[in-house]
Amino acid sequence: MTNNVLSLFQLCDSNFPTGAFSHSYGLESYIQEDKVHDQPSFLQWLNAYLNEQLIYTDGLASRLVYEALEANDLESIWKLDRMITMQNLPRETREGSKRTGERMLKLVESLYDIPVLADYRKRIAQKNSFGHPAIVFTMVGHHLNVAKHTTTLYYLYSTVSSLVQNAVRAIPLGQTAGQKTIMEFQTSLHNATDKIQQLDEDDFGIVSPGLELSQMKHERVNIRIFMS
Amino acid sequence: MKDWTGVLSLDAEVRNGKTVGKDVYFQGAYKVMRPVYHDDSGQACYYILNPGGGYLDGDRYQMQVTVQEEARLTLTTQSATKIYKSPRSFSYSEMEFTLKNGSYLEYIPDPLIGYRDARYKQKTVVHMEKGATLLYSDIITPGWSPDGEKFSYHTLQLKTEIYMDEDLVVFDHIKLSPATQDIEGLGFMEGFSHMGSMIVIGEKSNAALLDLVYQELHENSTDFKIGLSALSVPGFTLRVLANTTQVIEALFAKCHMIVNKEWYDINPSFLRKY
Repeated sequence: MTNNVLSLFQLCDSNFPTGAFSHSYGLESYIQEDKVHDQPSFLQWLNAYLNEQLIYTDGLASRLVYEALEANDLESIWKLDRMITMQNLPRETREGSKRTGERMLKLVESLYDIPVLADYRKRIAQKNSFGHPAIVFTMVGHHLNVAKHTTTLYYLYSTVSSLVQNAVRAIPLGQTAGQKTIMEFQTSLHNATDKIQQLDEDDFGIVSPGLELSQMKHERVNIRIFMS
Repeated sequence: MKDWTGVLSLDAEVRNGKTVGKDVYFQGAYKVMRPVYHDDSGQACYYILNPGGGYLDGDRYQMQVTVQEEARLTLTTQSATKIYKSPRSFSYSEMEFTLKNGSYLEYIPDPLIGYRDARYKQKTVVHMEKGATLLYSDIITPGWSPDGEKFSYHTLQLKTEIYMDEDLVVFDHIKLSPATQDIEGLGFMEGFSHMGSMIVIGEKSNAALLDLVYQELHENSTDFKIGLSALSVPGFTLRVLANTTQVIEALFAKCHMIVNKEWYDINPSFLRKY
């Protein structure tokens, strides 16, 4: 039998082709304005993105989806899929999340036989759902019996590690600086995961104006290496 | 829920080509004046008043507005909504808008001002039928503080949900808590103090309209920053960060003008305040 944690870890690998490497989620706008230009300024952005956007959206969605799976309450999952899509007001990040979610779903379906994932795919095909990587990832974590907290932590890790890889290419940062960032960021990821457990459903979808504005501004950026 | 500080309910319909209030009810610290007709389009403009002068600790306001088929309504305030110190509990405002097919609602309030230690929550729910049109806006500003502190309010939280034919199509959740967030840091207000949001939804919205709005509004300026993006249904969000209400209002007025000109071939009237 395969080790469950390792199995989930496969999805966190930056080689796992979900297309996350082509999305900066607004980071590129900051780089072009020279607000993010080195490792310390990148860490500042990453902390803001994790703590002021990601925990209230993807992070909280992951926890709530896991709880809904435990309660076999699929309706709540479909509702969250719509909420997480509609709260994403910048078109590029909304479409990017949908595309990444769909690609992850397709890949995972070729690896595992998970009924709820098949339901999700059908709903997306019928345009009843949209697709989101946090939801797909959590369905896999739950299927593999990886604990709720760990599933969310790994999901955040996978998001952060691809953002770091993108920063290494775009700022650019040295590979060593990139790895140092990931290591230094471990505490932040643990704290964020703990905070997510304490959040109320009512906190869902809080976004920070500046981060969101930079995601909207990216649409009008002429020369770009990322799709968002 | 009971014990509202102010309640307002308004049902607008078309009578002889003119939008009129069918049922208008208000109680407590909410009041509306008789509608004003700025032009001959039949569009009614109602000014909302807060005779109490501002929102205090634990105040609760409720507004329900229905715009019937083909009715055209502008809702605005007579002056800024002032949120004062709320040491015990949040002041709260709940708004529900129902837009029937072919109706048009413009909600263009004056800014919300959060004074020292103000805590405020707002929940807006819009139910619209597919052929309805909405132009919704909000401006959040910090109140004057005796020691010159830029952000002295505690928390301003605004949640907006828009449903089209029962389906959620917009979910906007802003929570600014200078007390607990690094609001002057990267990612929050980007060095600005005021924020404006405008959401426009209408079947005629398309990429060309967004290009036009962007072209007219965007400037390489240190006075403001804008973000503009298409929604998943025909329509868009416009976000503005700036340092004065006037700058945001001027940008919103431009956007408002473009939408009215392109969709209805009318120039919106300047909303006269007393």
